[in-house]
Amino acid sequence: MNQEADSTSMNTMDEKPKHLMTMILEKLKRPFIEFRDADTPGRIDFFGRIGLAIPALASTLVIILILTFLWYESAPIFTSPEGGPGIIIGPTWDPNRNLYGIGVFIAGSLACAAIAIGLAVPLGIGGAIFLSEYCPNRLRVPLRMIVEMMAAIPSIVYGLWALLVIVPFIEKSFAPAVQNNILFSWMPWFQGSTNGLSVLAGGLILTIMLLPTVVAISNDALQSVPMNLREASYALGATRSETARRIVMSAALPGIGAAVVLSLGRAVGETMAVLMVTGNSLQVPYSLFDPTYVMTSIITNQLGYAFIFPLWRSALFAVGLILLIMSIFFTITAKILIRWGMKTRGYV
Amino acid sequence: MSKTETPLDERAPDVFQSEKRERLKEFKSSMLNIVKSRRNFKDFLFHIILGIGIIIIIMPFFLVLYQVASVGFGELFSNGFDSFSNFFLTEPGRGLMGGIRNAFFGTIFLIILASAVGIPLSVFGAVYINEYTRPGRIRDMVEFTSDVLAGIPSIVFGAFGFAFLVGFLGLGMGLLSGSLTLAFMMIPTVLRTTQEALRAVPMSLREASLALGATKWSTTWNVTMRAAFPGVITGVLLAIGRVMGETAPLIFTSGNSLTTPTEIVGPGSWVASMPYTIWSYITDPRQYLNIKAHATAVALMTMVLAIDIVANIISRKVTRRLV
Repeated sequence: MNQEADSTSMNTMDEKPKHLMTMILEKLKRPFIEFRDADTPGRIDFFGRIGLAIPALASTLVIILILTFLWYESAPIFTSPEGGPGIIIGPTWDPNRNLYGIGVFIAGSLACAAIAIGLAVPLGIGGAIFLSEYCPNRLRVPLRMIVEMMAAIPSIVYGLWALLVIVPFIEKSFAPAVQNNILFSWMPWFQGSTNGLSVLAGGLILTIMLLPTVVAISNDALQSVPMNLREASYALGATRSETARRIVMSAALPGIGAAVVLSLGRAVGETMAVLMVTGNSLQVPYSLFDPTYVMTSIITNQLGYAFIFPLWRSALFAVGLILLIMSIFFTITAKILIRWGMKTRGYV
Repeated sequence: MSKTETPLDERAPDVFQSEKRERLKEFKSSMLNIVKSRRNFKDFLFHIILGIGIIIIIMPFFLVLYQVASVGFGELFSNGFDSFSNFFLTEPGRGLMGGIRNAFFGTIFLIILASAVGIPLSVFGAVYINEYTRPGRIRDMVEFTSDVLAGIPSIVFGAFGFAFLVGFLGLGMGLLSGSLTLAFMMIPTVLRTTQEALRAVPMSLREASLALGATKWSTTWNVTMRAAFPGVITGVLLAIGRVMGETAPLIFTSGNSLTTPTEIVGPGSWVASMPYTIWSYITDPRQYLNIKAHATAVALMTMVLAIDIVANIISRKVTRRLV
């Protein structure tokens, strides 16, 4: 009887298409069966496969944790009546009066970043073109090494140097020279007395810190342009500068765009050097010599005192959340640019 | 005898002269070319401007080096080698008159702990997504998130460490919180360079090992990783050099202390670091502390640049060997 029942059930199983659940079960069972039958190296292999999968997800997990915690910490300010989403453009920051407008910091950050990008991008792309198109071979390696070493210098050391060299230079030489000169003294962006701690100092030190990034990434983009494009251009009688500007630059445009966007992200997120030289005064800068307060500085300066006041603390985390969203946005933009380059040019 | 040699001697300067003349002619003709056509002149101008540009770009490096090293080395070697070793091996003491033993060993402890957590995480992760998964969604996701992680401002890491490690997990400020925050910052650099190194290993090596009956695991660790090892070391060194100079993530996670830490978690674990010490010394109005900040900065910079140069040399050697 039993035997017959077994055989019939077997038959039906063979005839019918396999049920979804049994397929899933078999799939689940297979590793265990394999594991039972394996020898020692095979078992190590099995455990290794699982053990390695966990660290692979670490970076994703960290991103999710950062987003979750910044959101969780900054939720009170976005939901409370004192705050709300309007704080992003609110111009007044005064925790004693429960005013948490962080627009002033965004303006300060953007002003510093704009100066830095405006100076670093043309200079950096020029340097990259020199390195890849004009540079004599025996100079190329040392120049690249110096640029890489500039990127490695800690930002606190740049800050120290800026505080001791750039700030006095602006106070003692640059500001008087510009303001006493009839050619420049009427310009609105050169007005106001200064002690050197200014948005200009922040922009200059940011420029110096961005240059290695811009040069390195644009140089990589220029080097990946195929040699035959250049040769074709030379064969048509173009000079080196025409080839570099018209052919190589336009062929490497996506990579250079990615360099600009990534360095913009670094400019907004740079902390210590900017903190030391921008003066940290709560005002929107109207002239280059005005002090200002940037987003990273306000977190650094006040989180230590603010963590017992829930709203104040949550406003600071909201600044962090905005910084995070900005940096994610810049990374995605750079990725899109690179994908565009892959699609239209086949290389980046 | 002398008659046969004298013409040679006389001719020798003549040869040089003609070479010189030729060079001069070449130079002259190139100059003429520049003046002759407007396009060539533009090219020349472009060249000159770019040359000036690259000088402006690298000039700050030497200015920073000069400013920091001239003051810093003066302080470090003010009394010969004794003052050098004293600077690193004495506690700050009363009025911060002493050395920076707390910050020096603090940085070393932080880096060791951060590497112990961060390097395995990122190397294993890179091995998994490169060797065990097919190109697809998981690989894209890991690469994307590590790129995003690389772009996040360091102060955001600091705020996150403060909210998550110090507050939520209740670790408190100290060595463990600080080094875990640094470990998170190491992940993208090490992961991406390890991936590059693994990608450069030729497929035939793996296939040969698998054909001999080795498992995936032993192929990966005994064959692939051995070939990719120099690249991995480069990434690790670059990441260590990067996090060594980070101040912002440590302000709210590691605290500060005038002595070396005695425990990993708890009140005794507050730890100073060299970047943080530079910051607090340079913003202090006392003059001798500013000089000590320079000395600390030059020490930190020497360590970071040495690590960077070693990483550079290794990566250059490797590329030469593979090509």
